[in-house]
Amino acid sequence: MAKSFEEALASGNFLVTASIDAPKGTDLEDAARLIDKLKGILDALGVSDNPCAAMRMSPWAVCRLVLEKGVEPILHVACRDRNRLALQSDLLAAASLGIHNILCVSGDHIKFGDHEDAKPVHDIDSVHLLAAAKAMEEGRDITGNALRGTAAFCLGAVANPEADPVEPQLIKVDKKIKAGASFLVTHPVFNMENLKQFIEHVRQSHVKVFAGVRLLVPEEVAHYRDGSCPGLFVPEKLLEEIQGADIAKCVGIAANMVKEIKSAALCHGIHITAPGHEEKIPDILKAGGIEAGS
Amino acid sequence: MIVAKRKPFNEIKELVSGSKRILILGCGTCVAVCLAGGEKEVAILASQLKMALALEDQDTKTDELTIERQCDREFIEEINNKVNVDDYDLILSTACGAGVQLVSDVFDHKVVVPALNTTFIGVAEGPGIWTERCRSCSDCVLAETGGICPVTICAKGLVNGPCGGTRHGKCEIDPEKDCAWALIYNRLKKIGRLDRMEQTLPPKKYGADRYPARIVHEAYRRRYE
Repeated sequence: MAKSFEEALASGNFLVTASIDAPKGTDLEDAARLIDKLKGILDALGVSDNPCAAMRMSPWAVCRLVLEKGVEPILHVACRDRNRLALQSDLLAAASLGIHNILCVSGDHIKFGDHEDAKPVHDIDSVHLLAAAKAMEEGRDITGNALRGTAAFCLGAVANPEADPVEPQLIKVDKKIKAGASFLVTHPVFNMENLKQFIEHVRQSHVKVFAGVRLLVPEEVAHYRDGSCPGLFVPEKLLEEIQGADIAKCVGIAANMVKEIKSAALCHGIHITAPGHEEKIPDILKAGGIEAGS
Repeated sequence: MIVAKRKPFNEIKELVSGSKRILILGCGTCVAVCLAGGEKEVAILASQLKMALALEDQDTKTDELTIERQCDREFIEEINNKVNVDDYDLILSTACGAGVQLVSDVFDHKVVVPALNTTFIGVAEGPGIWTERCRSCSDCVLAETGGICPVTICAKGLVNGPCGGTRHGKCEIDPEKDCAWALIYNRLKKIGRLDRMEQTLPPKKYGADRYPARIVHEAYRRRYE
């Protein structure tokens, strides 16, 4: 059994995480194959929560599969789809299933998804969700009611070093750290100067930062350009490079980002996303000079 | 004020179809200001309906009347001084949803249907343009956010800062719309209260927003409670 993600965070090693999407349906076969393929090369594997507001299986079901296959799962929990009761219920369910790593996110806006007329919930925000999970570790729910059996979580949050303006983002990150985040996953970063400034800002805290690396693919260039991939700000020069590139070249570009981030020695790890092409994650890591278990 | 917009004409036509006598009842307050349901808009709607129903050989008579406010019994009860409500088999109200309901309460033996979709509480930015500013959440945070409401202006209603989608100060869902938290940051900085943004605001008290809400003024408490 791999060491827990919390232990990995404390190890000081350069860590590698990735995330996959839950199936759109009940068939877990592809997810199972993917987890097998990624096993051994990641320190933890996240499962997104209705990414881009597109309805999929609840990620805790996939996280349980990740866990059963001997990989540390990170459950993404979005505030968009559930109120404070449902969010806390899911946190308790996750804890009871042995899923302790939780990534607390606001969630992409409903507009981007496949249920455009759904009501965005956002009853509580990601800062509150972190605080709720923290309270559960102390045997209370968010309103202070006693719990029978406490939870133990390793809590994470997201941030975008390339948000513009970045100052409000940094103020919110401080709140997330204060609320209990022990690791931060950034949106994909393309400008190292932005990442550097972000790391400078959080350096005084205990928080571990995973820089986001995304496999960019030509079929999505129009979406990157028109803003329909929220929080993903790809420079025009890179878009031109991706346009017309084959998948091997795209993997190479992502691998170069991995190398650049690792060699800059700014952050504690990377977080890879490759929507629809997750099977390429091992190739990205290999070409990026990341050895299994390094 | 309350801002509304007219329903698509075909939807209105369907709502009134089959009625022999229709009273198109305008409202002279908010919806008149936002050019959706005042006297002029009632006249336009009446003309359109007359033409459309005549083309379908429907034998329909429409009358027009605009009162000062449909959200106040005092003005609704005066309608019978001007027309005989029982002459109509349908009242088409161009008020907001509140007005439509109060007209329906007062004339509870009549069919009352809305001609508008009530959209938001907002302000006039200029001639012909209105923007939403308040979601009437009963738990106002404007003192902490530089007079800019994150519950309303942020597309996700986030109260502790932006999501990760802010680009060039704009919202991830619409590059034409400002990011509420970029606005709040700039305003708080300008008024020297940036420290307010560093405080974590607690979860909103939606218990205070339990609907349907009711307020009784202190001076009238004995009358109603």
